[in-house]
Amino acid sequence: MTTIIANNKVSEFVSSIANENLPCWEKFSESRKKAKEILTQLDFPTTRNEYWKYSRVTKIARETYHFKNLSEEKIDLDEVRIPDLETYEIVFINGFISLVNSNLPSSDELEIVAFSDSKSHDYDSCFSKNLDSITNIFSALNTAYFTDGVLIKAKGEFAKPIHIIHYSTGENIISQPRNMFVSTTNSSLTILKSSINNNTNKFFQNSVNEFFLEKNSKLNFYVIQDYKKGMNVMTTNVVNQERDSVFSAYNYTIKGDWIRNNTNVFVNGKNCETNLFGAYQPTGSEHIDNHTIVDHLAAHCESNEHYKGTIADKATGVFNGKVFVRKDSQKINAFQSNNNVLLSDEATMNSKPELEIYADDVKCSHGSTSGQLDDEAVFYLQSRGLSKKSATALLIGAFLGEVVEKIEIPELKEKVLELYGME
Amino acid sequence: MISIKNLHASIGEKEILRGINLEVKAGEVHAIMGPNGSGKSTLSAVLAGNENYEITEGSVDYIGEDLLELSTEERARKGIFLAFQYPIEIPGVSNMNFLRTAINETREAKGEEPMAAKEFLARVKEKSALVELDASLLKRYVNEGFSGGEKKRNEIFQMAMLDPKLAILDETDSGLDIDALKIVSHGVNKLKSKDNATIVITHYQRLLDHIVPDFVHVLYKGRIVKSGGKELALELEEKGYDWIKEEVNA
Ligand SMILES: Nc1ncnc2c1ncn2[C@@H]1O[C@H](COP(=O)(O)OP(=O)(O)OP(=O)(O)O)[C@@H](O)[C@H]1O
Ligand SMILES: [Mg+2]
Repeated sequence: MTTIIANNKVSEFVSSIANENLPCWEKFSESRKKAKEILTQLDFPTTRNEYWKYSRVTKIARETYHFKNLSEEKIDLDEVRIPDLETYEIVFINGFISLVNSNLPSSDELEIVAFSDSKSHDYDSCFSKNLDSITNIFSALNTAYFTDGVLIKAKGEFAKPIHIIHYSTGENIISQPRNMFVSTTNSSLTILKSSINNNTNKFFQNSVNEFFLEKNSKLNFYVIQDYKKGMNVMTTNVVNQERDSVFSAYNYTIKGDWIRNNTNVFVNGKNCETNLFGAYQPTGSEHIDNHTIVDHLAAHCESNEHYKGTIADKATGVFNGKVFVRKDSQKINAFQSNNNVLLSDEATMNSKPELEIYADDVKCSHGSTSGQLDDEAVFYLQSRGLSKKSATALLIGAFLGEVVEKIEIPELKEKVLELYGME
Repeated sequence: MISIKNLHASIGEKEILRGINLEVKAGEVHAIMGPNGSGKSTLSAVLAGNENYEITEGSVDYIGEDLLELSTEERARKGIFLAFQYPIEIPGVSNMNFLRTAINETREAKGEEPMAAKEFLARVKEKSALVELDASLLKRYVNEGFSGGEKKRNEIFQMAMLDPKLAILDETDSGLDIDALKIVSHGVNKLKSKDNATIVITHYQRLLDHIVPDFVHVLYKGRIVKSGGKELALELEEKGYDWIKEEVNA
């Protein structure tokens, strides 16, 4: 028998948040137990680990955290509401569901169940499915000590977006929301995720979202990341697609001190479409990292990925996109590109698009560019009377606008354009 | 209006303008001609404030101000307009959006209120009609996918919108078909007044048939080597530049 000696740093971290009074402890105790075991075997990654090469987690790992349940507090959601767009709202405060602030639908087309609800559900068995295969310490941390979450299951063509709003506040607080989104056969579902934070310092938000798209269903996932100071954000999205389904993720990062987004899509069925779009614009000393994996496990599928960013000041951007085309996955069209504009000499962009193809009848392309703003274009605009600042803003808007234009909800598109300072 | 004295400009180690002297008064039209590579576009870029060029000597007075001390946008807001020889394409920036910003920032700099949307649209309608620029082009991105001639028309349309004091037209005629040449020249003439001035850079007399210059200058190797009335252009059309080159090189 081998004895595993837990790394001190991890065990310290875990003991600081170990709290068995979290909601829905019992129901998921098996999964939690397994995850806790995994944690005893894992170490916080260093930059020697390829997956974490450009994102240091020491800053997060060396702190201690606690949970803080403020779910009864009434909060103001106006800043993240989308003008003229009706949505349902599910609010989390520090990772705990806040019913007093939420506005949930009552519809036969849609089922929303909080994990803390003791009722068992037919999707319980899917919990953590495929998450283990990409186990990293942060998803294991979430599984072991997630605060609460919802299962949202669409059973029809559900047009009205479900707006999930994460409110964060406090110092040295950890928030670990966990959600599961299911679009059943022939259904459609749109999720929009926003965040608000106030008076945060050394706040660590570590969320996991699991997606299950059944046959011929459609799921759109829009994320707006616009954080004030004091947040470290780690998100992990795991997507499972059955045949004829369409998954589209749109990730718009406006501001954030330190953000790492992991999105992993397993395309299990034939004839699927996968779209991943993202934009980021770090300034100051911000650090924005997007890692994606699209794993084509079935034939006749298409994936499109386009991430664009502008990096200013001393900020850092990271993009790593991996596309796998497995041996029998013929007739795959996979496109991936990442374009960046560096706005200062001290800005850094680490971009790595990767393709691993084991099938022979496929059409794939990938590419990455990092350049400067076109001086001549700036001059042209200035020569018409625009200040350098507005000329630059207009050109940045034009550059990032390409991926904002992908948004299928006009009101939301307006809002995102406005957040990026484009009109 | 503008008085250029002994202007020298270089790019890197290379001196391109080698002592330009030129005086343009309100109400006048000056034509600048000269062989390829003589420095005509460089002169216009320098006047518009392109920072790629280093001014090593000389001065430029523009309505009582030291032009060389002004930024590109300040020059534009004070009425300098350059119609580019090669207008660039700016994907993602809409023509209308950028023009509205240009006009309003200019007004703001003068302490004026932004132009009302209605007035702006009326102006767009009027000025695009002047150069017969298709309305659908206005909604597109700046010059993106425009034909050569459409780009040139768009330059003059922008000029009409911005109503400059000193317009520098760098080979606006190249790329225009015969009818378009007439239309665009007609537009330029319409914008002419006793308070503004125009510098037209061209290789061909046919433009000067429409936009009749008061003075014609020949730029060669970074200097104005010959000046005259409108008949000089006719002489150049007939004889080419060899005789001037010989005179200079002698
Ligand atoms: N950015 C640059 N780098 C290097 N050389 C340059 C640059 N810009 C201009 N030049 C050189 O300066 C000279 C003058 O160029 P300019 O474009 O002003 O000529 P021009 O008189 O407008 O010619 P044309 O009639 O062909 O338009 C040319 O020899 C050109 O190659
Ligand atoms: Mg030229």
